[in-house]
Amino acid sequence: MIRLKNILPKAFLIAIVEMVNIDGVEKTYRLLNSIGIELAEIEGPGFEGAWEDDINYLPICPFGSELIDFNNIYGETPHQFSKLMNYANKLKDESEDPWNFPALSSVLGILQHSYTRRRAELAQAKIYNVGSKSAINNIKVYNEQAIEKAGITQEYVDELLEHVFCVYKVEYNQKSNI
Amino acid sequence: MNLPEASKIYENSIHILKKNQHENGGFYASPPGTRYPFIYPRDHSVDILGAIAAGMLYEAKKALEFVLNAQKPLGEFSQRYDVDGNDASYKDLQIDGNGLVLFALGKYFEATGASFFDEMADRAFIEKHWEKIEKAVQFILMNKNEEVDLIHTINSIHEYPAYEHGFEIYANCACCAGMIAAVKMGHAIGKDVSDWEVEAEKVRQSIMTRLYSPRRRSFIKCIRVKDRNSKPIGYDAFASTVIDVDVVEYAPAYFELVSDHDTKIRSTVKRIHENLWDHEIGGLNRYPEYWGRNNGGYGPWCHFTCQLANHYAETDNMDMAEMYLGWVVDMAHNHMLPEHISTIDRFELWLEDYTNAMILRDSKMTMIENVRSHTKWNDGLAYVTIPLIWPHAEYIRAYRNFINRFDNAYAFK
Repeated sequence: MIRLKNILPKAFLIAIVEMVNIDGVEKTYRLLNSIGIELAEIEGPGFEGAWEDDINYLPICPFGSELIDFNNIYGETPHQFSKLMNYANKLKDESEDPWNFPALSSVLGILQHSYTRRRAELAQAKIYNVGSKSAINNIKVYNEQAIEKAGITQEYVDELLEHVFCVYKVEYNQKSNI
Repeated sequence: MNLPEASKIYENSIHILKKNQHENGGFYASPPGTRYPFIYPRDHSVDILGAIAAGMLYEAKKALEFVLNAQKPLGEFSQRYDVDGNDASYKDLQIDGNGLVLFALGKYFEATGASFFDEMADRAFIEKHWEKIEKAVQFILMNKNEEVDLIHTINSIHEYPAYEHGFEIYANCACCAGMIAAVKMGHAIGKDVSDWEVEAEKVRQSIMTRLYSPRRRSFIKCIRVKDRNSKPIGYDAFASTVIDVDVVEYAPAYFELVSDHDTKIRSTVKRIHENLWDHEIGGLNRYPEYWGRNNGGYGPWCHFTCQLANHYAETDNMDMAEMYLGWVVDMAHNHMLPEHISTIDRFELWLEDYTNAMILRDSKMTMIENVRSHTKWNDGLAYVTIPLIWPHAEYIRAYRNFINRFDNAYAFK
């Protein structure tokens, strides 16, 4: 259901579809990344979500409701989203530091990751997105290199993802004792 | 009231405040290893007020330094921070934090000067942080609706948007008081703050009229409006009022926007007492049970009971003040105060409700275990989150105010 009042999130998702059509995946990927960074700088250092020691996680999917709504209206996940996610995963696979990339379970993970990563950097910390879960079909996605770099196991991430949607390992450059 | 015991709780409250201030300045909401080992600007600001009341100005300044340095780029103070001042919030905007930080800063500033304000007040500290004060006020004004001259928020003191999303009384009083404090600080260091003065007065007037119901003779909780910039707000999807009694309808006096002697406050407090005093176990509940968000079981809260004890002391109703403060004294366990107290029956009822509704979060399991394993469980009571630091700060303020009304061995001279 679309109403002018709540059109913006849907318009943003349509804009991703259209931009992939018009400018291709590379430019769209760059745009989503830069939006995340720009918003992170407005918001400042920090993290959202809950904590378990140095694991930060999101108990709810921040865009879940919008994505499910959009899929219902659109009938299926637009192929442009898949194309963009494939491009992002290819970048990760070809990168020398794949642990810095997201475990993508939705196209908005690109935006979310650049936002979260920049806010962490501003807080003098580094994050590894070790896993995430799709709000649409509950499929779990892992970043194996990030898991290895974080020094945790996939079983542990898997267990967390039973109850949450996105898991980060956080490493502070310098952290005060509690 | 058991005065020797009350005195010991006062001493221990100071000890608890000191012990739960991290070396970086932040006051934990509850000790590390317990339910809330973060720094919440709301709790933190009240802890600062408690520290000031106890004469702990060094600790208060350190705490203010911490929270001011944690301000976000737009001027907001987050729901909570880690010990290094990094935003660690998981909830939407809680703008009362902005008001509270400014209010606490203003109280610190006044306390440093006291009777010799002109000579002694810590102007250097205010000047050092003036830019942050400006940003904090600007952030409040950014969230002000021009149609009603009130500040919009999503969450307030109970972190419960269902009843707080809109123009909520506690958040508005905190923000208004914060702006008034900023005006006073600005005047003291020679800044032109005339615009803020005008805006603060507009908000104050709106609280006194739009958030007051003459027929009910009570302040009301909230004007529910979904979007801050709905124009006109009458067409907003949430447009309605929350007229149920809530303990924070006392906020206009708590934040000194109006005297405790004012008839609007007296009649509001009367309504609060009649509806929220717990007839089974005493103490003051925070809102009606049927609001349905009673984590740990419905029951009275120590810090709200302390706040109203203060009101009764202020208005020379010492019997009521003693009943309220005396209840807090009686409920202390090892001279420590919990967040709130419930009964086993109510605790189990809440657990049943939340379990059946599938809304019991994993994070509540530790709290449930702690409540059931606490000694007071054997007395039929559920002590939820003990110690919580906030009630100790409120207790310090209420105890000092109460005792100072008497010329006896316990009075502060």
